[in-house]
Amino acid sequence: MTALVFAGVRKTFGSTIALESLDLQLAPGEFVSLLGPSGCGKTTALRVAAGFEKPDLGAVSVNDRDITHLPAHKRNMGMVFQSYSLFPNLTVHDNVEFGMRTRKVESAERKRRANEVLELVQLGPLADRFPHQLSGGQQQRVALARALAVRPEVLLLDEPLSALDAKVRGSLRDEIRRLQLSLGITTLFVTHDQEEALAISDRVGVMSNGRLEQLGSPRDVYRQPSSAFVARFVGSMNELPATVSDTHTAVVSGVTIPIAANPGAAGVANGAAVRLLIRPEDMHLDAGTADAGTAEHRHLPVLPGTIVLNSFQGATTVVSVQLDGMETPVAVHTSGSESTGLSGDRVAVRIDATRMVIEPV
Amino acid sequence: MVPLLAFLGLFLIVPAISVFQRALIANDGSFGFGALGKAFSGQNFDAFVFSVRLSVQAALVGVLVGTLLAYAATTITRPKWIRSLVTSFSGVAANLGGIPLAFAFVALLGRQGLLTKIMSAAGFELYGGSFTLDSTWGLTTVYSYFNIPLMVLVTLPAIDGLRVSWREACANLGGTSWTYWRRIGIPVLLPSLLGGFLLLFANSFSAYATAAAISQKSLIVPLRIGFYLRGDISANEDQLGFSLAAWMILIMTVSMGCYWMLRKRAERWQQ
Amino acid sequence: MAAMTGQPLPRLGRLGRVGPASLTLLCALFFVLPLLAMARFSFQNVPMIRLGRSTLLENWSASSSLDAFGEAEFRRSLGLSVRLALGTVALTLSLLLPTTLWVHLRLPKARAFVEFLTLLPYVIPSIALVAGILPLKPHARWFLNSNYSLIPFYAVLALPFTYRSLDAGIKALDVKTLVDASRSLGAGWGTTLRRVIIPNVRTSIISASFLTAAVVLGEYTMARVLLKQTLPAFMEQYQDREPQGGMGLALSSMLLTTLLFALLGVLTRPRRRTRTPRLEIS
Repeated sequence: MTALVFAGVRKTFGSTIALESLDLQLAPGEFVSLLGPSGCGKTTALRVAAGFEKPDLGAVSVNDRDITHLPAHKRNMGMVFQSYSLFPNLTVHDNVEFGMRTRKVESAERKRRANEVLELVQLGPLADRFPHQLSGGQQQRVALARALAVRPEVLLLDEPLSALDAKVRGSLRDEIRRLQLSLGITTLFVTHDQEEALAISDRVGVMSNGRLEQLGSPRDVYRQPSSAFVARFVGSMNELPATVSDTHTAVVSGVTIPIAANPGAAGVANGAAVRLLIRPEDMHLDAGTADAGTAEHRHLPVLPGTIVLNSFQGATTVVSVQLDGMETPVAVHTSGSESTGLSGDRVAVRIDATRMVIEPV
Repeated sequence: MVPLLAFLGLFLIVPAISVFQRALIANDGSFGFGALGKAFSGQNFDAFVFSVRLSVQAALVGVLVGTLLAYAATTITRPKWIRSLVTSFSGVAANLGGIPLAFAFVALLGRQGLLTKIMSAAGFELYGGSFTLDSTWGLTTVYSYFNIPLMVLVTLPAIDGLRVSWREACANLGGTSWTYWRRIGIPVLLPSLLGGFLLLFANSFSAYATAAAISQKSLIVPLRIGFYLRGDISANEDQLGFSLAAWMILIMTVSMGCYWMLRKRAERWQQ
Repeated sequence: MAAMTGQPLPRLGRLGRVGPASLTLLCALFFVLPLLAMARFSFQNVPMIRLGRSTLLENWSASSSLDAFGEAEFRRSLGLSVRLALGTVALTLSLLLPTTLWVHLRLPKARAFVEFLTLLPYVIPSIALVAGILPLKPHARWFLNSNYSLIPFYAVLALPFTYRSLDAGIKALDVKTLVDASRSLGAGWGTTLRRVIIPNVRTSIISASFLTAAVVLGEYTMARVLLKQTLPAFMEQYQDREPQGGMGLALSSMLLTTLLFALLGVLTRPRRRTRTPRLEIS
């Protein structure tokens, strides 16, 4: 059984295509994030699921029931909005009870469930406050409680952390995931923050221009991006300008690198200019010192360069290296416990070519 | 701040004090609330009743139509210029008043009015019953010309403050449109609506020029004050005139005080 | 992007559109018809009794209105009203601009109090205010005899509108930062006011000025009781003598006010460039 299914969902607004043809299935209890820049269609997909937008084509079903034409107020979904969704004239308690009142749950049971769910988000003592007396993080926790109080089949979260302070964001993010795991509720989470999506999802769907570019576990999406877009959007990437010499190799700064198996290699012709995208942690510094990592990297292609600056960040050091013959310096991650050279030192940068993504220019 | 306080003190507070002074201290120097009491009786009492009835009526009409119009302006998204047209026109019309407005309605709904004639041609005699332009309903119609726009101006921000997410959250939690308005929309708007009512009430109660140009009869309190001041009623009764003015100030203080409190309440939710 | 859907009226259908549209149309009619009636009365010399489909196009002329404009008394009262408007605008701005600035910069807690102060003119409406002025006449005869004595009282009447306008404009700027930046670059208070603050609250100043002008040009109550011959006072008297001409004047007055505000709307339309405040002190 599938908990939530989008089948060929298409939605346009005038001449803009918000969703081309979305196919997505969530298993029961799964936490799936839709990740992408603004305008990619992730919010539209969520709103179609909630019933606030009607798809032009395609169907949405919950637990194998087709709900495509069901009005929003008849769907049994819990939704948390980005901000300001608590009813300002009702107390926290009344807000949480709201969904139960519309479903005509009787008073004693309502109270019990409201208290229960407020305890879940640890806001029991604030039940009699009004929304304007709460902080942003507290408001979102109440919104979460309110959505969960009706025991929905699916939980929909529309960038619930975007409007919050960085500090609150981190703790609330984990709280949402903990809650979701303990309740086992199928969840669709929309965000533009890739760190968020990677941290708490079972699967991540990266979207762009109405299309689902890649759907996979956080690790897969990060380590094996299927396209340059996904590679850039998730995590950070270095760019190395190169030319394709024949269909299996690219030449960068005089060094030839095989690219047959890399994502993005299929479409490029001989002689084409490309960018090789590679993660900072897939590049390694070889300064000739007896570093533990150097031995296993000796077989990797090497590009010479000069250290521009070191940025010590605790667990890692980000070394900015000006590679010979290139305009922009690249960032290389090394362990924070290792010592790196000084600005101006010559280094050799080894590239793990199997982890590159090819991007046409 | 001092210049502002001094300015207000001199040009607003001092005259206000002199009103109370002349209301409470008779020509022979004796102090007493007698004049205030007398100002509330006889023809003057009738004027108070008339004024209050008129102001309440005008305020109710203004609140009802004004709110609906403001809501209409926010919901009509095509064509896009409707909303700014309504806003700018409201800005204009809220300040149109006084003499020209009175003339306009005499031309429209007076005994020789254009609309009167049209209605008569269609079979409806406007002046067949007890209607006159200076009755409460007549004046209500005239006052609506500036009351409705004023209400639109005051209410638009409040309606804008009704967030889309509340509407959607309500639907998501199982509520219909009716549920939304009943449990969230109207309660949140209520302070603004009540505040608007008080503002329109105060506005209508204190209006002088329009009524003066429409009617020679001193039916409303401001007109009677005017008559007393000009010595039209009786040369020695001007203490009554000041008492009427004093009463007026008191009524306005209460109305604006309540309005102020409601405004503060509404702002709290508009965050 | 999700906001592209506009206002979500999920299940409103056609009825939901008809309602607001017809209401707006009805209101539009309500506001335009009186003007039409005025126009017909002032420009058509046909008494209502004789007005019918056949006589609809007879006897239209602007002569009575033109006569009214020609009256010397009209020109005098118009002149007085205009001068009063200018004076009131000047007084209001020179009083309120520094005060509002000061409150924003130095006394933020006093803002609520000042807002309260600006509601006071509502509490003491013009008829009561003028009633209070009369007993003071003997004490300030030299002042109250002048026509221009109306100016400070008109400034009081316009206070709620003008303060709100200026306050909104100043609130939209981060005045404190602007002033600090300006002074750290070496500008004194005068320069700061002239070259930094005023250009950036230009919209509010224009708005406040137009509102004040509208109030002054239409004010009748105080002028009447204090026996000053302003434009509205003249209009009312003239109407008794020459109904058509008087109506023509009233119509022009309403159209003029409408034009004033239309102009105001044009001048204060948000510009296409971003509204970041400009700091130019060279």
